[in-house]
Amino acid sequence: MAYKPQYYPGSTSVAENRRKHMSNNVEKLREVSDEDLTAMLGHRAPGSDYPSTHPPLAEMGEPDCPVRQMVTPTPGTAAGDRVRYVQWADSMYNAPSVPYWRSYHAAINHRGVDPGTLSGRQVVEARERDMEACAKEQVETEMTCPGLAGLRGATVHGHSCRLQEDGVMFDMLDRRRLEGDVIIQDKDQVGVPLDRKVNMGKPMSEAEAAKRTTFYRIDNVAFRDDKEVIEWMQRVWELRTLYGYQPHD
Amino acid sequence: MVDYYSAPKKPIQVEIFPQKLLMPDTAEELLNSIDKVTGVLRMMIQGSGLPMRVSCGPGIGTPIDRSDRRIINVSGQAFELNIRVGRIRVELEDKSAKEPLREAVENSLPIPFEFREGFFFRKKASLTDYAKYGFKSREDESINIEDERLLGLIDPKADPKDRICMLESNE
Repeated sequence: MAYKPQYYPGSTSVAENRRKHMSNNVEKLREVSDEDLTAMLGHRAPGSDYPSTHPPLAEMGEPDCPVRQMVTPTPGTAAGDRVRYVQWADSMYNAPSVPYWRSYHAAINHRGVDPGTLSGRQVVEARERDMEACAKEQVETEMTCPGLAGLRGATVHGHSCRLQEDGVMFDMLDRRRLEGDVIIQDKDQVGVPLDRKVNMGKPMSEAEAAKRTTFYRIDNVAFRDDKEVIEWMQRVWELRTLYGYQPHD
Repeated sequence: MVDYYSAPKKPIQVEIFPQKLLMPDTAEELLNSIDKVTGVLRMMIQGSGLPMRVSCGPGIGTPIDRSDRRIINVSGQAFELNIRVGRIRVELEDKSAKEPLREAVENSLPIPFEFREGFFFRKKASLTDYAKYGFKSREDESINIEDERLLGLIDPKADPKDRICMLESNE
């Protein structure tokens, strides 16, 4: 019987959503074109070639190495792309993804990525086209609500602020805003204006965000509501505390 | 607003903490309705800043052209609202003005809010204020400031020029 990974314990909606993000079993909710995504990331002009930092591996004449023979390089590595980043800020008010779960999603489902998790933001560094593949997956699926999460390379402030009256996470650099009933982004990650307006689609309603979130919150699904999660957390912490300590030795 | 100096010396302070950050239209309406309450001595608004330019990162210096950083009008006095209002603190001349204030806020805020009494901005000069303003003279050791209402309203290191707005008293 093939091994089936078990990602996260618990029976609440939050636990279920966390399993979905980790296993990449996420629903696609919107369409963002490659050009729009490239523009929003702001690392190169949309439609231009990927700048490279070294020649393609096939032309480099790699040394005879068993590890290199075993591991197939990612498309970005094979082409010699630069390493670039995508960074997210997710509101603490029921955004679909927690920074850690963006990292789990990237690390489990993508190769050659270097996810960095911070309290209010989450960054993935990878070869440019690999990073774009990861970013596209995250931006188009239920892992992101355009109103409650944002691509933010600088000034991520806003994730822990209260939401604005219109239900959108505060953005100091005004990279995206609610226009009508859709979120429009017209700046790249670092606040440089774009030559286009990217339609990110409708933000989730409060009820939908509460249903799709991976945040445990006392006003939605509290962490302590899930007995199985508590049991496993306590076990992990106990083993972590004891570590290799063996009193009988 | 009432004249600060003629007010009895037992003022109270109240904080209004909306559940969401206020957009400029709501903030303008709220501030105007607070100002109409009899017995308001001074108020302070606080929130996340709306900068004019990108202040860090590769896009540093890029202008931020945002439509919601706009001039609002409170009691006939226009000033630029350069924050997203998240908290309003009000000093009242006494307890009798508290309930009218709560009613005014309830009528103008479309969202739930917290309303609490406490001590939020000081009335006496602190050591930092003395360090900044100094004594009046060798003989007079009171603080060298024209208007004591400024105490506790802004950060002592900040420039009060574009942070303080004087509203004329009707009385």
